[in-house]
Parts: sequence; C-alpha cells; structure tokens
Amino acid sequence: MDMRLVAAILAAVVVLASAGCSTGQRVDLGQDAGNLIAAIAGEPDQLDPQKTSSYFSFEVLENVFDTLVEPDADLTMRPALAESWQTSPDQLVWTFRLRPGVTFHDGSPFTADDVVYSYRRIIDEELTNVDKFSAVSDVSAVDDHTVRIILSRPTPNLLTNLGGFKGMAIVQRRNVEDGQIATHPIGTGPFSFVSQKRGDSISLRANAQYWGGAPKIPGVTYRFISEPSTALSALQAGEVDWTDAVPPQRVSQLRNDDSVHLAETPSNDYWYLALNEARAPWNDVRVRQAVAYAIDRPSIVQATSYGTAQANQLAIPQGNPWYVPYDRYSRDLERARSLLQEAGAAPESMDLLVTSDYPQTVTAAQVIADNLAPLGITVNIRTVDFASWLDDQNSGRFDMLMMGWLGNIDPDDFYYAQHHTDGASNAQKFSDPRVDALLDAGRTETDHRARKQDYAQAATLIADEVSYLYLYNPAVIQAWTPALSGYQARRDKAIRFRDAVLDSGGADR
Amino acid sequence: MTVLRFLARRLAYSLVVLVGVLTVVFALVHLVPGDPVRLALGTRYTPAAYQALREASGLDQPLISQFFGYLGHAATGNLGVSFRNGEPVTENLLGRLPATVSLALVGIMLALAIALPAGIYSALREGRASDAIVRITSQFGVSVPDFWLGILLISLFSTTLGWLPTSGYRPLLEDPAGWLRHVILPGLTVGVVAAAIMTRYVRSAVLEVTAMGYVRTARSKGLPPRVVTMRHTVRNALVPILTISGIQLATILSGVIVVEVVFAWPGLGRLVFNSVAARDYPVIQGAVLLMAVLFLVVNLLVDLLYAVVDPRIRLS
Repeated sequence: MDMRLVAAILAAVVVLASAGCSTGQRVDLGQDAGNLIAAIAGEPDQLDPQKTSSYFSFEVLENVFDTLVEPDADLTMRPALAESWQTSPDQLVWTFRLRPGVTFHDGSPFTADDVVYSYRRIIDEELTNVDKFSAVSDVSAVDDHTVRIILSRPTPNLLTNLGGFKGMAIVQRRNVEDGQIATHPIGTGPFSFVSQKRGDSISLRANAQYWGGAPKIPGVTYRFISEPSTALSALQAGEVDWTDAVPPQRVSQLRNDDSVHLAETPSNDYWYLALNEARAPWNDVRVRQAVAYAIDRPSIVQATSYGTAQANQLAIPQGNPWYVPYDRYSRDLERARSLLQEAGAAPESMDLLVTSDYPQTVTAAQVIADNLAPLGITVNIRTVDFASWLDDQNSGRFDMLMMGWLGNIDPDDFYYAQHHTDGASNAQKFSDPRVDALLDAGRTETDHRARKQDYAQAATLIADEVSYLYLYNPAVIQAWTPALSGYQARRDKAIRFRDAVLDSGGADR
Repeated sequence: MTVLRFLARRLAYSLVVLVGVLTVVFALVHLVPGDPVRLALGTRYTPAAYQALREASGLDQPLISQFFGYLGHAATGNLGVSFRNGEPVTENLLGRLPATVSLALVGIMLALAIALPAGIYSALREGRASDAIVRITSQFGVSVPDFWLGILLISLFSTTLGWLPTSGYRPLLEDPAGWLRHVILPGLTVGVVAAAIMTRYVRSAVLEVTAMGYVRTARSKGLPPRVVTMRHTVRNALVPILTISGIQLATILSGVIVVEVVFAWPGLGRLVFNSVAARDYPVIQGAVLLMAVLFLVVNLLVDLLYAVVDPRIRLS
C-alpha cells in the first residue's frame, strides 16, 4: 500500500473528527431534543411490566404505566388510578372508585374492564406476581368506574400488593392481545413509549394528558451504559443528566464535587447469608449462631460497598416504618467456639455458594472465609453463574449461600416466602412453628399496631434462630446534574421522572 | 474460470466449517450447567409455567433432535427466537451488525495506519535505538488491557478535554458526523491494541525481505533508498502483512466485547455478553454462527487479495 494514501486517510479522519467537535456538545436526534437523558446500567429484557423481572425494565416502565394505588416517598400507599376505596366491615370486600377521564397513550379510555383484565391476566396465566393475589377470590367491574375485589381472608397489605411496584401495572387488553406490549407498551403513565434502539437507548415522550398533570420535560431518553465509570464520565461531560450506574469507589470523591448532585439513600434491599438446615451440622441452631458470632459485618460492608451500605442484623433498614432495632450479634469468637462445643460440632469445611453475576457475593465470600477460619472451618468458595446458582439453591446443593432481595415494602414480602415452612423461597429449609404462626397472623391482622408487633417478633425470632444471617442494606446511589430538580432518589428504587424539571442554563445543551 | 472454481471450492469448504462450528457451540452451550428456563422465569414460578416454557422453547426434546431441528432452520436463515424476549434472532443479530462492522473497520484502519509505518521504520533501523523504542512500545501496547485504555481515553478526551463523546453510537447513514465522533475513541482503543500486535509482524516481514538477494541487487544498482523500500521491500512483505491483518480484522469482528461494553456500543459483542449471562441459547448460537461466517468471509477476501498483491500467486 502506498504510504501517502495511508497518510491521506489518516489526515482526513483527523480533520473530519475535529470539524465535528465542540466542547461538551450533546448530539440529540431531532425528536428527542430537550429530553432528560438517563443512563441506566443495562438494557430491559422486555417491556411487558407484568412479565419482566428485570430492574432495567422497571426503571423505564415506572414512567409509562400506573397502578391502582402507588407508594409515596414514605412508602405509604396513595391514590393513583383509583381515586378512593372502601372496605367492607368484615374486610373481605374492597371497592375501588376509579379516576374518571383517564386515557391510555393511544387515546382509548381507561375503564374498570382494564383493571379486571390486567388482574385476571396475572392470576390466570400465573405470572411472576400471582402471589400478590393469593387472598383474592374475585375481581369484577361493578360499572365503568368501579372495581370490586373479593378476598378469601382479610388482607391488610392489599394496597401494597396492588400498587407496591409496576409489576402490578394496569395494561391495555388490545396491546397485550396484538403481542405488542413486550416491545411497544401502551400505558396510562406520565410518559409514553416512542422507540427503542437495540443495545443503545429507549425514548419516551411526555404524556400531555397525564392525570397527574403533564410533565415539564418533553421526554426521557434512557441510554444503556453498563460500565459505571463510563456512565459517570458521561454525566460529568454533560452527555447525560442522570445515572444510577455510579462506581461505589468514587462515591466519597463525588460527595465533594459541586458539579454533580449525589444522592445516597438506604434502600429496602438487603443481602443475607443462609445456612442449609437440611444438612448437618447446620441444622443445629447453635452452629448457625456460632457462624453468626464469627461474621464481621463492618468488614463485609467495607469490602462490598466501600462503606456506602448500612450493616443491619435484620432485613428492614432504619427509617422504614417497619424497622425493629436488633443487635444481638457482634464478632465474638469465644462465644462462637463455646456454641460449637455445646453443639458437639466441629465442622471442618463449608461449601459457600456465590455467583459472579452478583460480584458483591464473591467479594463478601473472601471476608467470610477469613472470618470463619479461626473456628477451624475451611470455607470452599464456589463461584458459579446465576443460572447454576439458582439450580444449586433450589436443589439444596450448598452449605451456605449469599444473595439479596430487592425492593420490598410490606413486611409480608420480607418474611413470608423466605421463612414460612411452606414459603416458596425457603431454600434453607427453615421451619419454626412460632414464626409460621406469626407470619400467618400478620397476613390477616387488620390492627396496625398488633400487626407491627407480630412482625417485630417474627423478625427477632428469624435472626435469633439464624434462618437468614442478615448482612446489610445497600444504599441507593444516584447522581445527576445540578440542572435537574423535582426528582428524588427513593428507597424503593422506583425511578420517577414525572415532576422532573431541567434548567436549561445548567447543563451544556 | 479458475476464480469461479476456487470460489465454489471455498464455499463448500466453508459450509463444512460452519457445521463443525455449530456442532461445537451447540455442545458447549448445552453442556454448561444452569437451566435457562429456570433463569428466564426468575425465582418464583409454578411447575406448569416451567413446563409450558420448556415445551415452547423446545428444550424438552432430546438433544439430538434439537440439534438437527436447529440445523434445518439455520439453513433457511431462521435462527429461532430469543428465550428472553421472543424476538427473532436473525433480525436481532443483523441489527447489531452495522455497529460492530463499522467499529472493526475503523479499528483495523487505525491499526494499519500505526503498524505499517512503525513496523517498516523499525525494520529498516534494525538494532538501533529507534528500533528498540518501537519494539518496547509495541510490547507495552500488547500488554495494555483494553478496558483500561478505553477508560483512560474517555477520561482524557471526553471528561477533561471535552472533545469527543464518552460513549454511544450513531448509524453512519443517518448521521455521518455523529458516527465519526462516536467511533473515534472505541476505534482507537481497538486499533491501538491491534496495532501493537501487527507492528511486530510487519517488522519481521520486512526484515525477512530485506535479507533477500533482489533487495541487495536493487540497492547495488544505485536505486534511491526510498524506491528500494517501497517498490522492492514493502511490496514483497505485503503477503504476510495481509495475512496478519486479515486475522486481526476477523478477531476484532468477533471479539470486541470489552470495548463495546466500556463504550456502550450496541454491537454483537454486547449482545453476546448479555445473552451468555441470561443463557439465551438461540442468541448465543446465532451470534457464534454469524462470527464464524464473518471469519470465513474475511479469510476468503484475504485469499483473493493475495493474488492481487502478488501476481505470482495462483488461486488454486
């Protein structure tokens, strides 16, 4: 090849490139001009709110769909598509009055039939969230704007079940039946779906007819940036306005950075260890307690989150209305040794199941192995991909495992499936009649104080008996441009842009 | 006629390779532990839903009939539908192709633009200080992890200088200027790493030719050094250079996963990355098949180019 040709091509590239350059310029395609640009850490697998279980999907769909009721910033349930509701004296019949004049994004009216259709779809097709309807025996439309739900037992947390997150969204029958919902969802929310560029971005447009008032921004563009340091650079360069892909090791530096607004809120997520109680010696509560006394939570928090998470010996974080103080365990090796002795157990090895899909489990495993070494326990860390992890969990192939649960609101969601003898997610095979009774009672107890009492007792027992060995609540970490206002980081990690305002003077645009 | 016969033979041979690739990938993907149906359903599901999805995705069939069913469909261009979202795999893959191909072409062009001059220069100054500098630099380039180089480039050119966007992609045909601005940093990342490898090959190819009798003859004829280098040395070193360029291009086409993830580039690599995590067999199989096709096409082009570069080479 001629060297001059190479040089010429190279020169042309440089000239063209610098011609296109100007400082911090945002290249918006016409229809998305002025949109709030949010960087999320991955691409939604699909956009059907009732079928997806991907958080990336919900980051988008939170703004496209509505539920009958929804949690406000304190996680108290407030009216949304339902304006008001009444409960029969026996707590078994709930009548919801729907908001009049609400339309779907395609202009068709929203009526009671849509609510019935949406709920029947979850129940009849046994979708992921069918558990939320376990007490529901009938859903019917009384008239166009009234829905009646009949229960088989009193359910004090019905509102949380119906509106806790957008997995319970009201969908449109036509959108489902023509097979479009997974790729072109139609909702009633503050923004409507416009388009998706595979592997790149999703655009939403403001819904001027939104029942809560038209959003003040013209739309939202979600970009998929899975490398957190890239997302943060894009925010600092003014290419995006908001991101939740913040590298935790950069948090302390960002706290002092005026050019970026950083939000750190303790989340309702929690990470835990569970010992397999179908295997000896972990079936002995004293052995489990010995492990609990050997674990050093502060080190695990430091290693997994650079200190941004909050150590917690129970699931529910401080600040949450259902929080219960509890601090039985702290690292005490003497105590751990004597508990092992009492139990007559001397476990020499432990198979610790973690997954590389959740790197914090791999990191924590190193600390845990070190923590248990003084007890003479050699921890064999087994790192597998998440599909294998689920297989091994469900078939009980582990001594101990580490995992997390995301975004719960009602205590029933925190405890029942995980710790009830018949719980669907009780992989550790915990069984305690006292806990079962309390969790069953909590499901039907309508007196708020008594219910709180039940769950406080249950939570304490669960930790005393080490069904789960709770570790910490990670923080919701989000960063956005100072030009963005009217947005709050929420502890349930719902990303709501409906009230967002972008001050055009702030960012480079 | 020879060219046509050559092409026909190569196509038949490629088909055999493709079936082989498919067999290996199919076996590998299905031998890896982890149940894709369970993963697709999440943590809570009913046995009925599990069975339904298993049947719908054909995973309840014996492996051997799954395999032949897949081969049959693949022959007609139907690579099945994604487990994750039910989208046709063929469409999904073709949608990602422009991003990956344009990144690979820019990468290989930048790599050539660096490796050719550096390698030739280094060879002509064999043993001198400047040769050592090029060799050390290229050794350094080979060892640099591409994600680190990518992050470094972003922090310099985007965050600090504000010249280029950190990430993202614009289609070339819709927005050429935007495409160029977005492709430079990932292209450079890909290109620098490939250049480091190629420089060493260019250097040794040129060195080999320099030792030939005809170069000595040309020199003793009194031809100016420039002419000797360009017309006699480099021209004759082009065949091995072409070989390594082809291999590098094919490697880039099939393996820029890390660079695509760092720069949020919507190409094949990211698709594979996400699909492996989700055990999305149809997408993984389709992507590997497509990569194999790209590899074969590049190799074929390189073989055809041999004859152009060196007329003594016959296609046979």
